[in-house]
Amino acid sequence: MSIVEGKYSATMDMWPLQSKEMTRIHPFYDNLKEGRFTTTSCRDCGTRAFPPRVVCPECLSENLEYVDLPLKGKVLIVTEEEVGVPVGFETPLIHAMIELDDQLTVFARVMNCKMGDLKEGDEVKLVVYPVDPLPVDGKKGAINLQERVFYAFEKA
Amino acid sequence: MRNVCVIAGGQSVWGARQASERDMFQEAGKAAFEENPAVTNKDIDGLIVGSAYTERCSFQTHLAPVVAESLGIRPVNICCRVELLCATGSSGIILADAMIRSGKADVVMVIGGEKLFTPQRWEVNYSELASVDHDWDGTQGLGLPPPVFSAVAQQHMKLYGTTEEQLAMVSVKNRRNGLNNKKGQYQEAITLEQAMNARAIVRPMKLFDCCPVTDGAAAIILAAEEKAKYLTDKPLVYIRGTGQATLHNMSANMRNWSTWESLRIAAKQAYAKAGVTAKDVNVAQTHDCFTISEIIETEDLGFCEKGEGGPFVQAGQSDFGGQVPINTDGGLLSCGHPFGATGIRQGIEIMHQLRGDAVRQVEGARIGLTHNLSGFIAAHTVLIYGRDLA
Repeated sequence: MSIVEGKYSATMDMWPLQSKEMTRIHPFYDNLKEGRFTTTSCRDCGTRAFPPRVVCPECLSENLEYVDLPLKGKVLIVTEEEVGVPVGFETPLIHAMIELDDQLTVFARVMNCKMGDLKEGDEVKLVVYPVDPLPVDGKKGAINLQERVFYAFEKA
Repeated sequence: MRNVCVIAGGQSVWGARQASERDMFQEAGKAAFEENPAVTNKDIDGLIVGSAYTERCSFQTHLAPVVAESLGIRPVNICCRVELLCATGSSGIILADAMIRSGKADVVMVIGGEKLFTPQRWEVNYSELASVDHDWDGTQGLGLPPPVFSAVAQQHMKLYGTTEEQLAMVSVKNRRNGLNNKKGQYQEAITLEQAMNARAIVRPMKLFDCCPVTDGAAAIILAAEEKAKYLTDKPLVYIRGTGQATLHNMSANMRNWSTWESLRIAAKQAYAKAGVTAKDVNVAQTHDCFTISEIIETEDLGFCEKGEGGPFVQAGQSDFGGQVPINTDGGLLSCGHPFGATGIRQGIEIMHQLRGDAVRQVEGARIGLTHNLSGFIAAHTVLIYGRDLA
């Protein structure tokens, strides 16, 4: 029996830590659980950064607020990965360069999609899905599972 | 400021090695000392060790003292590790150059390596999820980079009419260049037909458009000019100029995928410091992790106009006899790509080219260039070497 059986290993976690105990950008994940795709915008200089920050990358202000990003976007480029995808993903692993608005283009996974289904110019929408929960040490040997989610896109 | 010379270099055999990371560091260090018997482990006063995945694949962190001890090096001026994923080795050389130039050290070994073959193959693909922005790009399944370079290639094809044949010509050329490189991962030529008909990885990237997974290590030794004159009887090779730039990391913040602005900035810095232009470069080792990369690099390094990278390789301008032979030892596509070692391997090849003792020699080469990119095309590193001072 392995000495690490049943243990959680941070180096093997492919999902970000999302709770308020673990990250100051937990509002992003809280919003995501409600179907909102958000990021931080600076109340001082107006810069909207993605991904969300705790410090404005333009003026270094900490006076930030969460703002909504579009939930739909337009496909600019499609890539279809046929072999060698990381464990946790299945082939074909499809990614697209997606124009969300005139300021933000993301390169993201497109779920629920077959080879050849997605084309340049297609509309896609955000999809939020559950990922591995985080086992956290509690009192008296208890393990508390924290739910986690992440986002991708699918054909609109 | 002092002048800096390359006085020795060597590497382990690269490939799917039956050896540990620690074994290969020893092989590479020994190869560098054997390449120039005038310099020994007792002459090294600075050691910079490069490895990107040492914790993930080889368990060992705090790697530099392990390597020093393994090779009997007792660096009294600096002993540390450097990491910039695929540009680890060349970044180590930039730091060593600065240290020697400023008088902090006299003779520095830069040694880099990577053990990427683990007992189960899935683990490296998994670890790659940490090479990009782990929380934002890794979570999209962007670990191994083929989807990224597929998007780059598609955009370049759309904007400039670059063809799949032109991509394939890069791998055919580099496989041919690597034929007699006994330390490279592959010593087999491929035909254009083989490259065009190979299985798809992420179209238009096919098998031979992508560099392989590789174990290996490489070591190079730099010295202040006055020391170098005592430590080698071979022609001196100078580091003339270096440049590095990083403008973004996450995919969402990369504004233009087919013109690499940070490469242009790094190249401009390096050319200015070296007092040369792209036209003066006689031989170059660029980061051909994918065939499209080499095409874009020929443009953004200034060897040809923007958008002309496809016709440039097609016309043989990046081959022996052309304007600037590129990846003369086979490049990443033939030699493989153990991240920490790649920039060092390139520096060793340029050292041989400028001395005139390369396996496949560019006749009369006086100015050589190396280039690396790292991660999500995030950071670019350019070094210019010269047979002469400015």
